[in-house]
Order: sequence, then C-alpha cells, then structure tokens
Amino acid sequence: MYDILDGLINSTFGWGWPGWLISLIGYVLVATLLFAVAPFQMLFFTYYERRAIARMQDRIGPNRVGPEGIFQPIADGVKMFTKEDIVPDAADKWVHLLAPIVVVAPTMFMFAVLPWGPGMVPVDLNTGLLFFFAISSISAVGLMMAGWASNNKFALLGAMRAVAQMVSYEIPAVLSLLAIVMMTGTLSVVSLINAQGGLFISTSDVAGVPDLGLGWLIFTPVGLLAFLCFFIAALAEGERTPFDIPEADSEIVAGYMTEYSGMKFGLFYLAQYILNFLLCAIAAVIFFGGWQGPGVGWLYGMAISPTNPDGSWIFNLLAGMLGVFYFLAKTYFFFFVMIWIRGAYPRLRVDQLMDFGWKFLIPLTLVNVFSAAIWVAVTSWGVADGFGLVEGWSPMLRWGVAFVTTLVVNGAAYVIVARIYNSAQAARNRLDIDELRESLALPR
Amino acid sequence: MTITIQRGEVVEVARGSQRRYAVPGMGLLDSLGVVWKHWRESFRQNRDFSDIHGTFTEQYPDERPNLPEAYRNMPILLYDDETGHELCTSCFQCQRICPPQVIHMTQAKDPTTGKAVPSVAEFIIEYDACMSCGFCAEVCPFDAIKMDHHFELSTADHASLTVYKQELNRPVSYYQSIAPTLWEEAKAGAYKKLQGNIKRRPDVIGIAPHLVDRIAARRAELAAAAAAAPPPPPPATTPAAPPAEARKLTPEEKAAKLAAIKAANASKQSGATPAETPPATAELSPAEAKAAKLAAIRAANTAKQAGTAPAAEATPAPVDEKAAKLAAIRAANAAKQAGTVPAAEATPAPVDEKAAKLAAIRAANAAKQAGTAPAAEVPPAEPAPVDEKAAKLAAIRAANAAKKAAAEDNETERN
Repeated sequence: MYDILDGLINSTFGWGWPGWLISLIGYVLVATLLFAVAPFQMLFFTYYERRAIARMQDRIGPNRVGPEGIFQPIADGVKMFTKEDIVPDAADKWVHLLAPIVVVAPTMFMFAVLPWGPGMVPVDLNTGLLFFFAISSISAVGLMMAGWASNNKFALLGAMRAVAQMVSYEIPAVLSLLAIVMMTGTLSVVSLINAQGGLFISTSDVAGVPDLGLGWLIFTPVGLLAFLCFFIAALAEGERTPFDIPEADSEIVAGYMTEYSGMKFGLFYLAQYILNFLLCAIAAVIFFGGWQGPGVGWLYGMAISPTNPDGSWIFNLLAGMLGVFYFLAKTYFFFFVMIWIRGAYPRLRVDQLMDFGWKFLIPLTLVNVFSAAIWVAVTSWGVADGFGLVEGWSPMLRWGVAFVTTLVVNGAAYVIVARIYNSAQAARNRLDIDELRESLALPR
Repeated sequence: MTITIQRGEVVEVARGSQRRYAVPGMGLLDSLGVVWKHWRESFRQNRDFSDIHGTFTEQYPDERPNLPEAYRNMPILLYDDETGHELCTSCFQCQRICPPQVIHMTQAKDPTTGKAVPSVAEFIIEYDACMSCGFCAEVCPFDAIKMDHHFELSTADHASLTVYKQELNRPVSYYQSIAPTLWEEAKAGAYKKLQGNIKRRPDVIGIAPHLVDRIAARRAELAAAAAAAPPPPPPATTPAAPPAEARKLTPEEKAAKLAAIKAANASKQSGATPAETPPATAELSPAEAKAAKLAAIRAANTAKQAGTAPAAEATPAPVDEKAAKLAAIRAANAAKQAGTVPAAEATPAPVDEKAAKLAAIRAANAAKQAGTAPAAEVPPAEPAPVDEKAAKLAAIRAANAAKKAAAEDNETERN
C-alpha cells in the first residue's frame, strides 16, 4: 500500500510528499475500506443466519424483500435507524451512551491484524494474535457499562453473566492458541498463515513438501484439539447459542441490551455479528490456513511481493482474489457451523457453562499445551536443545512419531477428562435431585 | 412405538435403551446430524406431511391455502340460485345456540295482515365477537346458515364487522363450490323444506333483497296472477285491503265476530227487535278495528246511561279485542236492564265501519224505542262512512239519541 501510494504521489505526480503523510493516507484509506466492509459483513451475516436457521427448522426464512429476501438486512437497518432512541430516566446517561461505542470500537480494531489474502493485511504486527485477543477482551468493559448504566435488573444480570462468561472462556481460547504459538513459534498472524503451506504437513515442520496450501494446523492432533476448544470458547465469547446466557431472551429479556433501542441497540447487534465474523475468521486463519489453499501460493509466487519484485501485477490480483475467496469461504463455513450448533443445542445453565469452561476445556487445553511441547520437541529439537534421541531421524519419521504421540496423548486426555466430567455432572445432578426431593419432602 | 392411553391409566413410556458412546461427546455429533438432515432436506417441498423433513411453508399471499371442506370460519346465509329465495325461515335456532350470542334476527311479517312469515327480515351477525364454533350451522334445520371459508376479514373500522343480511347472503352454488360433498348430503332436505316455505311466503318476501331483477320478475308474475284471478268477492272492501285470499281470520277478527254474535243473541233474547248479525266476513285494518271498537264502547256507555238501573260495572279502557268483547256484552246487558222496553242492543265490535255504523244506528233506534217520544232528530241514515271518523260520528249520534230517550223516560216516570 505504502509502495503504491509512494509511487503514485512521488513518482507519477512528482509532488515529493513526506513518507509519514503517505503512510497516513494509506492507513486512512485502508481503515475506511474496512469500516465500510465490516457493516456489510454484519448485514450479510444477519441474513445468512436467518435463512440458514430457517432451513434447519424446515422453514424458508425471510424471502420477501428483494430476490430471495437479500435486501432484508437493509430493511432491518432502515428500521433500526428510524426507531426512537429511548434512554431510561434512571439510567446513567453518559455511560449508557458510551457503552455501545466501547463495545463496537474493539471489534473494529481487531480488523487491523486480519489478513484477507496474500499480502492483504492492514498491519502485520509481530504480536498480532496477542493484539487480537487483548482487544477482544475490552468489549467486556463495554458490556458491563451497558448493564450497569441501564439501571435495570435484567441488564445487570446479563452484563454480569457476559463478563463472567467472557473472562472464563478467554482462558481456554488463549491456552489453545498457546499450543499453536508453540508449534509455529510465532505470534504474527501472517507468519502463522505462511507456516500452513504444504500438503497436510506444514512446510515449517517438514521441508520439501509440495506447496498446495493445505498444511493446515487442523491436520495435526494438537491443532484439532486446539481448534475444538477454541471454537467452543469462541462460541461463548461471541455469545452464540448454546452459550447465549448473557442475553437469554427467555430468562432475562435481552440481557445487557434490555434498555437499548434504535441505533444503540443496532450497534450492539453490529458488534456482536462483527465479533462473530472475526472469531470465525481467526479460527479459519489459525487452524485452516486463512487464505491458504490450492493455487494461491503458486500464483503469489509469480506476483509482485517483497521477495519477488519482478512479478506481474496480474498475479497479485489473481492470488488476491483466490486467497480472499478461500478465506471468506472458510469464514462463512464456520459461521454456518455456528448456526448449525444454534439449531441443534439448547442453552446451557450458568453453572453448566462455568463447569464446562473451568472443569473441561481448561484441563483439556492444558494437556494440549503439553502435547504441543512434545510436537515441537520431536519435530524440531536436536542435541543442541538437549534432546539427542531424535537427532538422526528423517523429517518424515520425526513428523510421524510426533503425530502418533500427540494423537494418543490428546485422545486419551479427551476421553479421560470427558468421562470424569460426565460422572461429576451426573453426581451433581443426583445431588441436586436429592436436595429437591428433600425440600419437597418427597419419598426417595 | 404406539401407545394407547385409557382414562385413569398411568402409562410409563420406555424411551428405549440409552445409547452409550465409547468416545464421550458423540451424542452431540448425533444431534448435529439430525439438524444437518433437516437442513439438507429443507430444499425439498413437503406439502403432504408424508415426512418430518422438507419445507412445509405455504407462502400465503402467493399461494392460496387449500382448505378442507369442513373448514369453518364465519357463518353465512344461503339463498337459492334459481328462485332467489333465502333458505332461512327465522326459526331462531341459531340465535338460541350461539354461545357468544352474536346472531340477531327479525322474522318477516306479511305487511297486510301482520302475520309472521317463514322468512327472515333482517339478520345480523357480529363477526367481531363470533368465535367460529359452527354451532349455528350445525343446528340449522333448513341448512340456511353455513360456515364460510373466507378468512380475510380485516377492516379499517369496528362497525363493519357487524354484518347484515345483505353481506351475509351467498348463493347455494357458492357453498357448493367450497364444500361439494357436504352440500350433496344436505341438498335434498334443504330444497324440500325450501319448497314448502316458499308456498307460505306471500308477495316477494323471502327473496334475497339484492336480487332486484328477481324481485321485479316475481312482482310481475304476481300481478299477472292477480289479473287472471276473479275480482275480490266483497265489493265493500276498501281499496287499502289486500286482495282477498283464502286465509284464516286473525284473532282480532274472530273476537269481533264473536262479540257481535253475542250481542245479537242478547238482543234477540230481549225480544223486541230482530237481531241482525253484523257482517263479519269483511276484512278490516287495525285502525278500522280500533275505530269500530270505540264506537261500540260509546254505544254501550250510552245504553247504560239510558237504563234506569245503574250500570254497576265500570267499563275500563279497553285495550284489545277482549276488552271490546267485554264492552259489547256489558252494553247488551245494560240495554236489557234498561227496562221493559227493549233496550238498545249495542252491536259492539263491528268489523268494519259499515258494521260500526249499523251498530250505532241500532243503538240509537233502541234508545229511541226505549223512550216514549221517538227522537226524531237522529238522521235515519247516512251515506256509508268510509273511515273511523264516520263511525265515531255515528256512535256519538247514537249516544245522544239514547241520552235524550233516557231523559224523556225519566220525565214520564216523574209524571
């Protein structure tokens, strides 16, 4: 971006503008573009979700506004904009006003490190993943503000639940990412994607694998377990069913959004759907190679890039289009899975939610971190690291041993933790029922 | 798994063995599989409910619902296509059974006789409170009220949900089109009853009011029939009277006739003048009957005054034909008591002004005869009065004559 603008302004027009100004113009352009794209993603997602969930429930869904109802979100948006903005008398006006902004802003920040295609990343932070998850936690502050400022019991309950849930489920999310970071040895989102080239085996683990862009981390046992845990945590973080207890409509009206109306409510909605988009996108990036896919690496190899300045711009365009296609296809598929889960499972109780997060996901992700350590040790360590056993092995053998070992460890850990969790839950249910019987003085 | 449940029986349903999965969490995948199947199959239409999968949605404004015949929404009234006659006879069965009591009706009456006709004059259903139970259609013995399939009843105002006969009327062919087999079952009985009812409906009563040409045609038919028929038998009937038809006497007419006969009998018993039975066959309008009654009462009163013996019984203001009868009897009695001379026989309750006149004249004559000097002032005869005014006049004159006679009587007694 900088290079293009620099070439355009300083070489073509010969204005001789300073570098910082060109950078500023570039970032403003990119930010504008993303701020335009994000709401459209949200609009599309609302339509997509309503249609998909309708199909799962043997219905048709919105199909009146435009062909197959494609303009339904526009109509909804118009409705949102024309609604009256009501602020309760007892509310803290300023906090009430600021809360939706505090919720939306971090979700917009998260776009900064999201790569859309090869070379298409607004900022390639070397701590991209950390930035992503650090920023996403900030919206919990906004939710708490909303719940507290509304001065409404349902809003406060919803906000409490939201914050408790987000704080609890950040831990398994970050722990599962920790395993990935250990395997790839980077926190940069771009190098994470670059590490996922190859064919079912990452090129960073085994050199010389043909680059078909399929070396996704999901194909390793560590990545698989990390993905499952991460996706469940992402559901909780995005307040999706079955973890939508912060806004459980049958229990606490609409949670922290109860006292919001009009476009402020719309902003919460926007934030939620953009967060869902981002969580799906980051899941696609971390575990499914982001824009990686058959053909992208080959096309990008012939394009203009820092390593290959003599490429042709047409390959830039083609690689970009194919990469964005792969990336969005994966993202939308994950969103479909989210809808699918919403269609299949009932909402969890608060105690079940906490139990599941703390007693099931966190132990599992901790074991996964251990597996990741085994993986790293077997595939890349040597005598210099004090692990001389694998020194003489070929890369394929190392990779095979690492795969089998981590598979066994992770599988066993999953079965054992799940069984323990199951029996603990069953025992707890029995206790609950006993207590209920005692309180009702029923015979056992 | 089929479960037959009988009353009072506790049934425990075996849910089947709970599947145990070797790997925990597989049950969750099963449920995802169920949802996936629903999603995949939802692109197929499933309108006959043959499967639990597939889209059931009926896109209503675009696709009209295929309603079953027995579907019921709001009641309507049927009329026959050919004759235009409504099937309803206003038997009030539907009004009686209607649980929210939203059916109201008025029975049609023959305008000339005031007689009830098996037809409905106005029929109102409050659709806003109707609960679509269909009891009215169930209970109707004439298959005149049926449940419609039309369900788009939204209106801009409340009042238009009160539906009158004009909007309730539907041809039989319409009902046949929405419920062919149901109508096939009801058809024979309904038409048979309708034929019977049409015979009892005079003039154009019973034809759906919006069928203007049907009504005109029927009117023309009736006029033609009237022209062909022999002229009405009693020439004395007033032009206002309807064409003479073979029909029963109304209770009022009957009562009048009876009273006249009784009065005549009484006078016969008293001996002197031969009693004439007043003509009773002619019809009279209610107003005329009233006037005649009035005349009779006055005659009676005067006759009482004429008598030496005080008339002990006060005649209360008569309000109906019964009272008129009573008055007539009393008049006769008073006349009888009036003395040795034949008293004024009051011929009360004459059935038309002619009869009233006659009665008055008779009363006057009797009174005159009662006196020693004949009262010459009373004009012996008048041109036939045509209305109640004349009858009243006659009665007043009779009364005057009677009074005079009584005065003379008193004088002679004093002498």
